[in-house]
Amino acid sequence: MTAERDVEREVEVEYTRLRIPFGPIHPALKEPVLLRVSVRGEEVVDVDMALGHVHRGIELLAEGRNLIQTLYLIERICGICSHSHTTCFIQALEEIGGITPSKRALYLRTLIFEMERIHSHLLLLGVIAYEIGFDTLFMFTWHVREKILDLFEKITGNRIHHAMNTIGGVRWDLTPRMVEEIDAYMREVEKSVKYIHNVFMDGTVEKRVCGLGVLSYDDAVKLCVVGPTARGSGVDIDVRRDHPYAAYDELKRDFSVVVERGCDVYARTEVRILEIFESINIIRAILDRLPDGPIRPKENVFRLMRGIPEGEAISLVEAPRGELLYFVKTDGSGGLKRLKVRTPTFSNLIGLKPMLIGCEIADVPVIVASIDPCLSCTNRLIVIDQERGESNVIDVDSLRHRVRRRWMRQ
Amino acid sequence: MDAAVAFITSFPLVLVVSLLFEGIDRKIHARMQKRIGPPIIQPFYDLIKLFNKERIIPVTASTRVFEIMPMIAAAASILGASILLSNTLSGLGMIGDLILVMYLLAMSSIALMVGGLASGNPYAAIGFSRKMSMMIAYEIPMFIAIISVAFGPPAVLTIDRVIKFQISTRLPLAVSSLSMASAAATLLLCIPAAASVVPFDIPEAKTEIIYGFLIEYGGPYLALAKIAKAVSNFTLTLLVSVVFLYIPSLLGEEALINLGISLSICLAVSLLIMFATITVPRTIFARLKIGQAFKFYWMLPLALSILSIILSVIGL
Repeated sequence: MTAERDVEREVEVEYTRLRIPFGPIHPALKEPVLLRVSVRGEEVVDVDMALGHVHRGIELLAEGRNLIQTLYLIERICGICSHSHTTCFIQALEEIGGITPSKRALYLRTLIFEMERIHSHLLLLGVIAYEIGFDTLFMFTWHVREKILDLFEKITGNRIHHAMNTIGGVRWDLTPRMVEEIDAYMREVEKSVKYIHNVFMDGTVEKRVCGLGVLSYDDAVKLCVVGPTARGSGVDIDVRRDHPYAAYDELKRDFSVVVERGCDVYARTEVRILEIFESINIIRAILDRLPDGPIRPKENVFRLMRGIPEGEAISLVEAPRGELLYFVKTDGSGGLKRLKVRTPTFSNLIGLKPMLIGCEIADVPVIVASIDPCLSCTNRLIVIDQERGESNVIDVDSLRHRVRRRWMRQ
Repeated sequence: MDAAVAFITSFPLVLVVSLLFEGIDRKIHARMQKRIGPPIIQPFYDLIKLFNKERIIPVTASTRVFEIMPMIAAAASILGASILLSNTLSGLGMIGDLILVMYLLAMSSIALMVGGLASGNPYAAIGFSRKMSMMIAYEIPMFIAIISVAFGPPAVLTIDRVIKFQISTRLPLAVSSLSMASAAATLLLCIPAAASVVPFDIPEAKTEIIYGFLIEYGGPYLALAKIAKAVSNFTLTLLVSVVFLYIPSLLGEEALINLGISLSICLAVSLLIMFATITVPRTIFARLKIGQAFKFYWMLPLALSILSIILSVIGL
């Protein structure tokens, strides 16, 4: 009853400065996050953020499993960049275990990686179109994305969770026919994305995305935003070029890092559109120069797993949303002592506040979408409890303590 | 046709036709987006389902207003549509029924706004304020355009007399003179905002404020709100087709004798108008912001409507 009265008072008293709960369930958000937006008229004056609605405790779960089980578990961290997560994890394992995958395996990993980037960027472009009320563009964009997903199914057997990586290589090989098919698909995708790019440059879209959600170069550097969000603000960073992994070292000349200096939603959108073209270039180079050889070691994967000694490694990849970091500490008997995942959205969410303040309510959804938030990635261990302005961060240890206590009781 | 019979039969006719129009609109919209889309009678299924759902009234709402307003909205728009349709059919006019229809349409959307605001939801409050600004933006040009009919060649505000005038000149009003053409253009430009479809669905933008003042409505109330919207959209398109683009007038006196033919031509024209002013904009545009929409309406349609009044006073 008191809660109800509180709500009533809030609406009545703070009428000039209305607090709008933007989430955790809101049609503009694909995943739950709570943005408490304070508005005066249509103008946003303050933003407060609360995460933790999809916290699943994956890092803790991983510590109770062996490495192969963990591989499939962390693939479920994100439904969009599942391959980035497994690649990052596998790279750390291979570094600890001193396993070198074959050239062909690395190229295939990169191929799936770039296809994933295309599908993730197309998904986001569709979401941006949807946020600004352009449903037709949303339908068109996702129509193109469907083809990429079909291609994934042809190569790996799955549309979303490809389960492509295994220790020391990949699980599925390409047949010559598939190479042709991918090539044909890429031509089709290139044509469609060119069309989508044209529509995005149309006046009706420009009116809604230009000059909005400005994140200046200085702010971008100061807040450590990553990926397309940073590149849209003129920060020239890309793990693929700066710390090459998989086959990117050999593909350096086949792509360029797209950097826009617009700093607004449009710049971030355009970075993604142009990155799709770069990804198509990379895929073509891979198909051209795909080396021969085995795709994985002959040994049983469990023997490989048990052969990984105790050790720790940090691994970096450029996920579609930006730099993804894994810290892996193995225990030497096929299990994990500690797993830490730092997803790109975690870095990028901080950038939302300077973007949002001063904009209109109408712009909030598209600005939030422009950093491509992937919240199920972000909500793993940090629980922020922000009731009535107070916020206390429950740290890792106390959370683990709590969970253990609950287990004991059961 | 007898006036009373026409009035009574037009109630169900209006309901069925406007829901069918909505179904056709949704189907074409889907096809333009490379989707299969719902069956044309989907709006009927929606209504049946919604009417069977439980009524939920939020604790923050002032119950009476919240409950009554959707009924007033639906009643007002159905009444407006029936007056328009029956006066077209029966050839019996009352003085100023054109203004009455416009008033009932505005009434219907105001009732929905007030009912939504009474829910106490902050999104509804924003939706209310947005709809208020939008109404100021589009209602003024719309009314000026209608009033310019009284200043123009027909010099009446009775639907029936306007129709008879068109038949006597054997030309639709919109092509008869420059002033009427600009008045018709004004009305056509105002339809997307009055129907609140993209790019002017700002008051109920689903990704921004979650349907604005409709947010707390569900079940039978939402069904009534949907009826109100579908019927008022239909009324707007029919209004333009009867008052400005009465194609049966090309047939001359025949149009008054073969009522069935002239009515079906009118409905076909209003379907075309709906396609051009509701389906196409909501397929090819992104949503505007309230400031941009306001600017558009006060730049173009308002200027056009004032032009039409000036022209009709001059006698062009």
